[in-house]
Amino acid sequence: MSEGTIKSMKNLPQEHILGEGTSLCAGCGGLGALHQIYDLLGEKTVIVNAAGCMTSLAIYPYTPFRGSWLYTAMASAASGAQGIRDALDVLIAQGRLPTEDDLTVIALAGDGSSYGMGLSATSAAIERNLDFLYICYDNEGYGNTGQQFSAATPWGARTTTSRGGHHGKKKDLFAIWAAHHPVYAATVIGAEPLDLARKVEKAIRLRGPRLILAMAPCPTGWGYDPQETVEIGRLAVRCGIWPLKEYEEGRLTHTRIPQPRIPVEEYLQKQSRFRHLFKPERNAEAIAHIQAEVDRYWSNVA
Amino acid sequence: MFRIRFHGRGGQGMKTAANLLSRAFFLEGYEIQDAPRYGSERRGAPIFAYVRADREPILERGAITRPDLILVADDSLIHNPSAGVLQNVNSRTVLLIHSEVPGEVWKDRLQFPGTIIGLPLSAVARSGAQIPVVSASCTGAAAGLVGVIRRETLEPALREELTRLGESVIAQNLETALSAYDAMQPYAGCVKEGGALSAEDYAPPDWIEIPYEDSTISAPVIYRTATSEQIQTGLWRTRRPLIDYSHCNRCSWVCSTFCPDSAIHVDPDRTPHIDYEHCKGCMICLAVCPPHAIYMEKEQPAPIEGGAR
Ligand SMILES: Cc1ncc(C[n+]2csc(CCOP(=O)(O)OP(=O)(O)O)c2C)c(N)n1
Ligand code: SF4
Ligand SMILES: [Mg+2]
Repeated sequence: MSEGTIKSMKNLPQEHILGEGTSLCAGCGGLGALHQIYDLLGEKTVIVNAAGCMTSLAIYPYTPFRGSWLYTAMASAASGAQGIRDALDVLIAQGRLPTEDDLTVIALAGDGSSYGMGLSATSAAIERNLDFLYICYDNEGYGNTGQQFSAATPWGARTTTSRGGHHGKKKDLFAIWAAHHPVYAATVIGAEPLDLARKVEKAIRLRGPRLILAMAPCPTGWGYDPQETVEIGRLAVRCGIWPLKEYEEGRLTHTRIPQPRIPVEEYLQKQSRFRHLFKPERNAEAIAHIQAEVDRYWSNVA
Repeated sequence: MFRIRFHGRGGQGMKTAANLLSRAFFLEGYEIQDAPRYGSERRGAPIFAYVRADREPILERGAITRPDLILVADDSLIHNPSAGVLQNVNSRTVLLIHSEVPGEVWKDRLQFPGTIIGLPLSAVARSGAQIPVVSASCTGAAAGLVGVIRRETLEPALREELTRLGESVIAQNLETALSAYDAMQPYAGCVKEGGALSAEDYAPPDWIEIPYEDSTISAPVIYRTATSEQIQTGLWRTRRPLIDYSHCNRCSWVCSTFCPDSAIHVDPDRTPHIDYEHCKGCMICLAVCPPHAIYMEKEQPAPIEGGAR
């Protein structure tokens, strides 16, 4: 595969084409990642958006996008993407759509749909080798409806449906995708624009099912001042709780190995969803448990 | 029937204020109706909540168009057109603004037909430590102004609504509510119940007609792209980032890449510009700028133009 063109920060897009004036929260980490991704995708895209915060982007007659957009139920982004891909292919085959007007089909969905309700449809779409790019912005909860826990909520996090701290474990969606042997899968975060841009650039050049899984710090659901979105994202990478990696041609590569890893509590204590682990008393056992899980992950990374 | 509207920004606790006040009315034996109203906008965007309270069952529905009392979380909302604070006010309307500026000055500035009362936010609320404190102040003031809620009713009302937030939050909010209640004693009972409305007086909302294509296409068509730029999310801002160009090293990418709203544009000569029509004031740019060339100021209220609409 040919080399990418993005080698340094100076190569990042300088024109930002996702429209301003969206109704998402000030400081939204999901929008932060989406706007960087969209600058690279460009206008010749059609976005299939499962219900979630991002569906409030395009409420007629307003849209920040420069191309088409379709709203689907939470479970159906991948099915919607299949329908659109098929329609485009049929139109091209019938000569009703010039090949140069073809569009890249993008599924855009939150963690609630991607890790949960939409997983079955997505699994089937990958299995059918659907040519689409799936973007999941993972704010670790059902943000749009007030941050209830999802299958991506980390253990110990307080949500509106896990007041004392979530008892479940965060599912590993990246591994689930990789187990389907897609053409490409990567984790990214808006706080690391160069890593994100290189991966998105790679994903755009490939054909077949592709995943960009973006951790999306959420000031509203996680409880922190909006200006800290990037700082929290950087801490997530540096403490190792959000590994940056990619899966390509059957190979898994970590694109960043944090060394040394900062203690995970530096990340946790900035967010009110973990405040109960520090106040009124420090819950040393719970913090050590979260740290041990992170350490265990990295001990398996060669 | 009392018809009461609360105006604030998402995150300022207006929904809670409406909950607290209606609980207090309920404890005094009133029938109540209590609903927040917001669109898809998020924290920082103007929202409103309303409460109806009556001795009789309430059959009226929908947003309040004849307000007897309006409570405003902060004075930056007054001139924010999308907040609609002054909508349908009349000579009977009492308007309470959390503001350092006295009510008479506001009445004069706005050529307001009814009564305006200015209530400075208590020091504790201003510290920004606990968002619901603004709710408590609105609740206490409203309870004082309607004149039918006893001072001692505030405690059980707050306690029942805020239990899950714990004792210290309840105590802090109660103190704020009581001091707002006491501050309103010179005006106690100045809000009078409005009479029944008739269907003839009903004014439909300002609909936007959406043209549909014919049924073979069967969906609204977007003829223009990035139309969201017509929405001035700059009005959400309570703080404003400013670039000190003498410190900006023209890196060409940091602030504009990290701005989630694409609201920072970079000139070909690498100079960044903040688009204040759309910047929501998240302050990420300030946090990420390596030479610390971005600083912050409190957002100024919009300039005064014309009177009440
Ligand atoms: C089948 C179904 N159940 C519930 C809802 C209500 N709903 C709309 S958005 C949402 C949360 C989605 O969470 P996620 O996918 O993580 O996206 P986020 O809101 O966090 O952006 C829910 C529960 C729905 N639209 N469809
Ligand atoms: S709730 Fe979170 S994910 Fe949703 S718009 Fe707000 S910041 Fe973004
Ligand atoms: Mg989510």
